[in-house]
Amino acid sequence: MFQNNREGLFLALPAAVFTGLLFLLPVGFLLAEAFKVEGSWSLQGYIDFALKPLNQTVFLRTLKLGFFVALLSAIIGYLCAFCIINLNDKSRGRVFGLVILPLMISPVARTYAWIVILGRTGIVNDALIGMGLLDTPIRILFTETAVFIGLLQLFLPLMIISLVSAMENLPKDVIAAARVLGANWFQVFTKVILPLTKDGLVMGGTLVFTGCLTAYITPAILGGSKVLMLETLLYQRVNVANDFISAGIIATILIVMSFSANQLLKRIASARQ
Amino acid sequence: MNSKLASRSIIVITLLFLIGPFGIIILAGLSAGDFMTFPPDGISLKWYAKVFEVKSFRASFALSMFLAIGGTIAALLLGIPAAYAISRYKIPFAETIKTIVAAPIIVPGIIVGLALLRYLVVPLNFTVTIALFLAHTALVLPYAVRVVSSSLNNLRSDMEEAAVLLGCSRVGAFIRVVLPNIRSGVLAAFILGFVTSFNQVPVSLFLSGPGVRTLPIDMLSYMEMTYDPSVAALSALLAFLSVAIVFIAEKFLGFSRYV
Amino acid sequence: MSNSILSLKKLNLAYNKTVVVPDLDLDVREGELIALLGPSGCGKTTTMRAIAGLMAPHSGTIHIDGKDVTRMPANKRGIGLVFQSYALFPHLNAFENVAFGLRLKKLAETEIKSKVEHGLQTVGLAHLATRKPAEMSGGQQQRLSLARSLVMEPKILLLDEPLSNLDARLRLDMRTELQRVQRETGVTMVFVTHDQSEALALADRIVLMKDGLIEQIGTPSELYNRPRTKFAADFFGFENIFKISGNALVGDAGSLQVSYQVDAEYLAWRPSAVTVGNGSYNGKIVGVAFAGEHIEYVLETLLGQITASSPAAERKFKVGETIKFDLPLASGFALYP
Ligand SMILES: Nc1ncnc2c1ncn2[C@@H]1O[C@H](COP(=O)(O)OP(=O)(O)OP(=O)(O)O)[C@@H](O)[C@H]1O
Ligand SMILES: [Mg+2]
Repeated sequence: MFQNNREGLFLALPAAVFTGLLFLLPVGFLLAEAFKVEGSWSLQGYIDFALKPLNQTVFLRTLKLGFFVALLSAIIGYLCAFCIINLNDKSRGRVFGLVILPLMISPVARTYAWIVILGRTGIVNDALIGMGLLDTPIRILFTETAVFIGLLQLFLPLMIISLVSAMENLPKDVIAAARVLGANWFQVFTKVILPLTKDGLVMGGTLVFTGCLTAYITPAILGGSKVLMLETLLYQRVNVANDFISAGIIATILIVMSFSANQLLKRIASARQ
Repeated sequence: MNSKLASRSIIVITLLFLIGPFGIIILAGLSAGDFMTFPPDGISLKWYAKVFEVKSFRASFALSMFLAIGGTIAALLLGIPAAYAISRYKIPFAETIKTIVAAPIIVPGIIVGLALLRYLVVPLNFTVTIALFLAHTALVLPYAVRVVSSSLNNLRSDMEEAAVLLGCSRVGAFIRVVLPNIRSGVLAAFILGFVTSFNQVPVSLFLSGPGVRTLPIDMLSYMEMTYDPSVAALSALLAFLSVAIVFIAEKFLGFSRYV
Repeated sequence: MSNSILSLKKLNLAYNKTVVVPDLDLDVREGELIALLGPSGCGKTTTMRAIAGLMAPHSGTIHIDGKDVTRMPANKRGIGLVFQSYALFPHLNAFENVAFGLRLKKLAETEIKSKVEHGLQTVGLAHLATRKPAEMSGGQQQRLSLARSLVMEPKILLLDEPLSNLDARLRLDMRTELQRVQRETGVTMVFVTHDQSEALALADRIVLMKDGLIEQIGTPSELYNRPRTKFAADFFGFENIFKISGNALVGDAGSLQVSYQVDAEYLAWRPSAVTVGNGSYNGKIVGVAFAGEHIEYVLETLLGQITASSPAAERKFKVGETIKFDLPLASGFALYP
């Protein structure tokens, strides 16, 4: 509308300069640091990092957890989204509010609850022993299962939100039309719903996957040092060993993975057309 | 109808999975015993009361409040003009500017904290509090820009032109015509920013000094040392606080469409 | 030119690199009511925005009262604009919308009140003073927008399709209203419309635009009776326009030998100028429409379709009948490219 572009630049620059100088620059330094070994530029840091078995395990575990949490939330997400959009307006608003609610609550509180549930004397163990299925409590806390459950609970709402808004934008009655044309539910899903909601799926998938990659509290509380993920590994490397090279490398990995996940999902989505 | 029942059950089970755990910590915090158990050993409010007596909780709550309110206000002061410029002007490098401002969402928080520690706090003698403030501002900024932008895009720009023709200056038109009409967007951005900042953990992990700790970090370290139900009680209180804020926001702003 | 209140010289208007108005010259005299007429997309709104100062011209100048305002900011020009989209302030009620500009002028509260009330009364909205724009109909919003500009007593009032959303009756009322306001206040008005009858009814002069260029300027009777081009004739109700090629008229479907020869590019007839019932040519009636005092016929002829009309009192024809008709030179109108 307004043609005075210098004025516009003047309004937008403070935000950009602020983030650029005080945020991106220091982060850039940190990333660059990983390429410096004893004062000279080299990839040695990366090579050393890649060769350590622990790092490999943690890297693969993070990928694996991220992938499966995203996959399961997509499945649950579609089921839920489909149920939610079929509600009447009033209950839809309510359910939607309840889905969003956990996002607003401190992740510390959200994760802490799982200790009470999954712990040695937690609800699950008590219940299993009470039913006579177990003699002694099993360890659930500090296993990948615990981290998986925690992450799923943390990020499922993001997937549901993305899919619900994608489904709300479906043209009216397409599902009914497909049914009338003779499609079974599986065909309705693969031929109508999936292609039409793929943007929502990409969005939700990216949010969940990158959320899992960069989650700290859940692996820290529910996985501890037994089930390290990249973020907890980073914290440990810095705190225990002052190892800023590893920190920079992990940081780079996290950023690159988040970015590629998004690109990859986009690619897959557009290839399906 | 059968399918209706199935669909209800799916929703209920999912919600139970998402929200149920909070019910449990609320109850666990009510325990009369000295350890976390469920069901609780008797009922008492002593752990809820204790939360208010722990000194470090009070200090860290105050810090977190300061960061959440101050940081969000700062982010809005930077973000509203930026959002306005992006939606109303054809500025050069608009894409670059958008990318820079949105970057904090992509960069993992823990790295940010570490980077600020190493390159602002240590060499430039910034205090930890300032670094925290800057980090939280930058972190909230993308949300502020996004939410305010979407309100602005829903607002026809000819209103500002009409105001200018009636004698307003550009700034005057913004204050008199634009702001009142994006008020709920700005409020929603504030709440979203507040909640994001208040609950933020990774950024603050490395940014803590003597006596300077955000509440979530304080809770984490308290948990490592003791296993009494006060953390459950505190978690429950925080959950209540968030629920109350979101409930009010939803009621008055239709908050969920901004998330 | 000394008494022209608004003068556009060699105005060139563009969005980025797309030129919408290449070269516009226009002089508006004080107190005049000018209609900017033209098809959708021809650059009417763009021209208005440039006059108001909402977009800077690529080149050319704008003078108001003899003063160059080309670079003057919009809020200093003292021009009123009624937007095509109304552009009302949704957070303010009708009264406050109208009071908006007056408050900026820092007038006394009592003066504001009386001006606003008078303004609302003028457009017939006095009873809705406390309503918000969202609670008003399209036509009411449009009138509110008009009142908001009127109370500012601008030197020049620009109106972008001010009557387009009103029903037929209200539109007539508002036409009269606009003329009355214009007479009373002597304000110079430029209004945009793509309705030729509105332009004819209201304007002192009509500016007919096509693709950002002025096709013809003149009084309503000049444009109505003496259109210069095919485009102008088309716009002002010459429904039968044929190219001339030697001794023949050429239409969409074919050509027709005629007895006359003229030195013009086109010949045009209004429906009423076409003779039906006798003449040298045959046409088949494919449509009959009763239009009050007239009956309109659509004839299928060698030229293609011809629209003719005759007084309702005369003999009527039925669909399917083949009748004689004529396109007499005397009632035809010569057009040049
Ligand atoms: N913001 C813009 N950016 C680019 N092109 C535009 C813009 N606004 C209008 N145009 C183009 O400029 C031309 C003239 O537009 P304008 O709005 O002046 O037409 P108009 O005569 O007012 O039409 P209408 O009767 O439909 O309102 C059109 O071709 C339009 O597509
Ligand atoms: Mg227009």
